[in-house]
Amino acid sequence: MAELLLDPNIRLWVFLPIVIITFLVGIVRHYVSLILSSQKKIEIIQVQDSQVMIRSRLLRENGKYLPRQSFAMRRHWFNNEETGYFKVQKRAATSQNPMTDPGMMTDMLKGNLTNVLPMIVIGGWINWMFSGFLTTKVPFPLTLRFKPMLQRGVELAYLDASWVSSASWYFLNVFGLRTIYALVLGENNAADQSKIMQEQMSGAAMAMPPDPKAAFKAEWEALEITEHKWALANVENEITAMES
Amino acid sequence: MSYNYEDMTVNEIKDLLRQWRESNERRSEDVMEFWMAIMEDLDKFGNEKYVLLEQVIYAALDTHQYGIASMCIVILHEKFPGSMRIARFRAMLCEAKEKYDEALEILEEIIKADETNSAARKRRVAILKAQGLIPEAIKELVDYLKKFMSDVEAWQELCTLYQQVGEYSRAAFCAEELILHQPHNHLIHQLLADIRYTMGGVENMELAKSYYCQALKLNPDNMRALLGLFLVTNNLLNHYKSSGNSGKRKDVWRLCQWAQSSAAASQRNSQVPLTQMMLNLAITD
Repeated sequence: MAELLLDPNIRLWVFLPIVIITFLVGIVRHYVSLILSSQKKIEIIQVQDSQVMIRSRLLRENGKYLPRQSFAMRRHWFNNEETGYFKVQKRAATSQNPMTDPGMMTDMLKGNLTNVLPMIVIGGWINWMFSGFLTTKVPFPLTLRFKPMLQRGVELAYLDASWVSSASWYFLNVFGLRTIYALVLGENNAADQSKIMQEQMSGAAMAMPPDPKAAFKAEWEALEITEHKWALANVENEITAMES
Repeated sequence: MSYNYEDMTVNEIKDLLRQWRESNERRSEDVMEFWMAIMEDLDKFGNEKYVLLEQVIYAALDTHQYGIASMCIVILHEKFPGSMRIARFRAMLCEAKEKYDEALEILEEIIKADETNSAARKRRVAILKAQGLIPEAIKELVDYLKKFMSDVEAWQELCTLYQQVGEYSRAAFCAEELILHQPHNHLIHQLLADIRYTMGGVENMELAKSYYCQALKLNPDNMRALLGLFLVTNNLLNHYKSSGNSGKRKDVWRLCQWAQSSAAASQRNSQVPLTQMMLNLAITD
């Protein structure tokens, strides 16, 4: 197959503009999100709940280092039918619907404004503006499976898979500029889009509001079935044996 | 150890200060000396400037150089107006000058604005403690711990306060809480054993014995635990001798012998005749 040659104008008017546009958009996004970001306010009751959960978990894990009486006393404090912490504390189930919570609404809106919207707009614009160009070639052969990834927008069945189309070049930039942002803006900047993509993936698990009632019940059950095994029962013999 | 700070470059000082910050070393006097040396070059530090200023504030308060502290607070305040952190530093400055009421007022405002600000709540306890109002400090700290139950530092402080007022069973509770949080710290096991030994009684002695053993298991070089074990076993030996429990007595006797010999072994090279000292300590012959 004859070697393809690209017009140098493509380098000047397609290849480099895409790099510069993605980079600048990232920078702008960083500063916009700095302006829009709001400190999340934490309720004291949430802090208390999470700390109680930590303490109860530690009691389950490390309770073996306490004498039986001390362990039972603590478990009683958590689990007693009438006065136990997990039984007495009644937490209203947190509002399940984010639409009813105006604070959450604005947070979501801000998130969309800085992350999703530019992605769609810039991506669409680049697709429209620079569609149908081959921009570069990766310097190694690739199998056919890479064609949909590297040649988005250029559906040529016989084209070698190592050519990269303009739309794909944009996506490669979106994901590949992370280290450059870290260099320019410092760590933990908001410009990085791939991080946002990851967050959206795991977002489903994160977004579920922690329901203290259910968590308390689960912890109550776990603590109820924990058996106390005094870890220091044989420690005297262990240390005397260790030396000799 | 003092540093020849005149010979060090700004970068060396910067690294050293950062190292102290990260390892939580206070070294206030050294920090103040460095501060004198680098004061003019403050702008070279970039964003690190502000953490550095905080470090200097702590050091200045420690060394009673209130002028420097308030100057640093003013610089920070200009940069971050309305910051709670800086309000806390202002409270600390008042506290250091023993203007406790003013400090409490500032802290009150911080807590009103942000209920979850645990550092401000803890400073309130510190103020009460500084005034010598130990029972009030205990009450405040207990209230704090009801909200922030897994704050290890607070449990440790409460343990110390209870020990000060002689409420050993409550101190033991706090020490147990510390063990739950850090079961691999031999010093906490030793602390609980100390408290149990002070409380006295056969059951507590048995527990003290177990915890001293655990401390020794985690760190065989813990001499205090070794000596504690020796004293506890001696005490128990006395008790079992009078109550005639020969099986337990034999076990304790073996442990006592072991504690004595390993203490002697680890001190063999030192000048103090430790074995002699321990024999003097021993109540039994």
